[in-house]
Amino acid sequence: MPVIETHDLTKQYGSGDERLVAVDGLNLRIRRGEVFGFLGPNGAGKSTTIDMLLDYARPTSGSATMLGRDVHEASESLRHQVGVLPEGLGLYDRLPGRRHLDFAIEWKDADDDPDDVLDRVGLSTADAARTVGEYSKGMQQRLALGMALVGDPDLLVLDEPSSGLDPLGIRRMRNVVREEAASGTTVFFSSHVLGQVEAVCDRVGILSDGRLVAVDDVETLRETVGSGSELRLRLADEVPTDVADLEGVESVETAGSLLRVTTSTPRTKALVVAHLVNAGVEVLDVDSEEPSLEDVFAAYTTDRTSPGAEGDSSTEREVVA
Amino acid sequence: MTATWVGLARKDFADAVRSKMLWAFIGVFVAFVLMSLPVAAQLFPDAVTVTPAKAMAGVAMLAQLFVPGIALVAGYMAVVGERRSGSLRVLLSYPFSRKDVVAGKLAGRLLVTVTALGVGYAVASVLVAVLYGVPDASAFAGFVGAGVLLGLTFTGLAVGGSAAATSRGRAMTLTIGSFAGMVFFWKPLAAGLYYAVTGSLPGLEAERWYFALKRLNPLEAFRVLASTALDETVTAVPEFPVEDLPASATPEQLELANRLGGEVPFYLEAWFSVVVLLAWGVVPILLGYWRFERADL
Repeated sequence: MPVIETHDLTKQYGSGDERLVAVDGLNLRIRRGEVFGFLGPNGAGKSTTIDMLLDYARPTSGSATMLGRDVHEASESLRHQVGVLPEGLGLYDRLPGRRHLDFAIEWKDADDDPDDVLDRVGLSTADAARTVGEYSKGMQQRLALGMALVGDPDLLVLDEPSSGLDPLGIRRMRNVVREEAASGTTVFFSSHVLGQVEAVCDRVGILSDGRLVAVDDVETLRETVGSGSELRLRLADEVPTDVADLEGVESVETAGSLLRVTTSTPRTKALVVAHLVNAGVEVLDVDSEEPSLEDVFAAYTTDRTSPGAEGDSSTEREVVA
Repeated sequence: MTATWVGLARKDFADAVRSKMLWAFIGVFVAFVLMSLPVAAQLFPDAVTVTPAKAMAGVAMLAQLFVPGIALVAGYMAVVGERRSGSLRVLLSYPFSRKDVVAGKLAGRLLVTVTALGVGYAVASVLVAVLYGVPDASAFAGFVGAGVLLGLTFTGLAVGGSAAATSRGRAMTLTIGSFAGMVFFWKPLAAGLYYAVTGSLPGLEAERWYFALKRLNPLEAFRVLASTALDETVTAVPEFPVEDLPASATPEQLELANRLGGEVPFYLEAWFSVVVLLAWGVVPILLGYWRFERADL
């Protein structure tokens, strides 16, 4: 049984010419115990989807279940088992951080130790004694994450959990996600910052204009877009013309003394550098990059029919199939 | 404690205490009582000996504006405030139903209103006794009861409007706007309608439906209840002279039974005003909840 399942989930605002389809026939299946990254640019429909899962918003058509139960019919009982970090949430400015956790524990009938929760999300006892009105955005986000963890949920739904967090906070959030996943919790979280989810996700779904354009594990997606790595070199001399003939080199671009080489395997990069050095070319700087989810993302969310768009549509079909 | 409306009501009341909202309302209402009672004699057009009942009628006259004012301010942000600030998303990420939210908010705000009015009326009772003598117990009970009922009604109206609204502005229009309509437009519109239907303004004698229409106004219902309890006329504020009444009309002629020229139907008896007030509290809550239950938050 999938932990989250949607059937042609659709949300439409307005009608006629004003019609805006925020989520368009979404079919998602999230497996038990996985960490699923729900990716897409701002406005793709991620939050609308999550709002429907949490019963904050009602679908125009289609349906959704969490833990096998209808998200609307069973919304109250589901919230005993689901930890939620919604987007656009507002904590109570006049209440101390600790009071928020007390409420979360009380409302969930949980027996968590507030100090443990604070510790996990990186808030000190002194922080917890201050009112939330004095918190930075990052501290509020940490507290909200802590509130979501209360009651040992079977499923965590986190909407843009890294927003407002500093790099340290982001790392801590990732660790929390890993710990939860290790203890058997399914984690569903959205983000538009791809680098931050790459490290923790088992699978990724990419949403664009309310439609799911790709679902796969991170590794496969990366391969689909291109297994090649990119090598960037700054040379002291003229760029030799024979680099493109080397085995494993897919393309070569030059701009003045800059050389950009795309290779099919990471190993080819070393061959390119060795070749240049052997040919007596002085290499001033070397920079290399693995394809990131950013590239995957760009490949799937760019309108392919527009001039200048890279990639071809056959790739998309392969992944979706 | 689990996630129930009682827990929410308790939290809501505690928030009202913490935010000083409750104290502000108590302060305003007590100040209102302290200012109006000692000068009760000035509230009457003619020189009169102020009996306890007359003093209370004076207070009731001003209370028809003050009590709804306090109740509306106490209630109109109850739900929409949490909706706009995003704290509703926090509440609803726990096992609360939307019904729990509306019920909890309603109970919390009713408690705020009742507490403020309770303190205010306690002060009033002491002042009346000291300044004008001990009032008749049943008159006093009716005076307090009508005021508290008015407060509860408008709290219900305010929380209902707050649940239906998507923004603070919409909530104000629905709640404070309705109140302004009741104060300024109800009676002129009723008389205007009477003119449109019968070709003349309501005179000393008028059709039943005109009186019924007038009494559907919760403020009129309050005046009826307070007047009946005190056996003193509680006049409307402001008073619109839209009825075609001779200046020489005696109080006896102005009695409803005489103006109807016959039997008073049940819906024009004083007790029916309790039903009117309750309806003005309950119906907005039900409508507001109905909208809220179906809304995208």
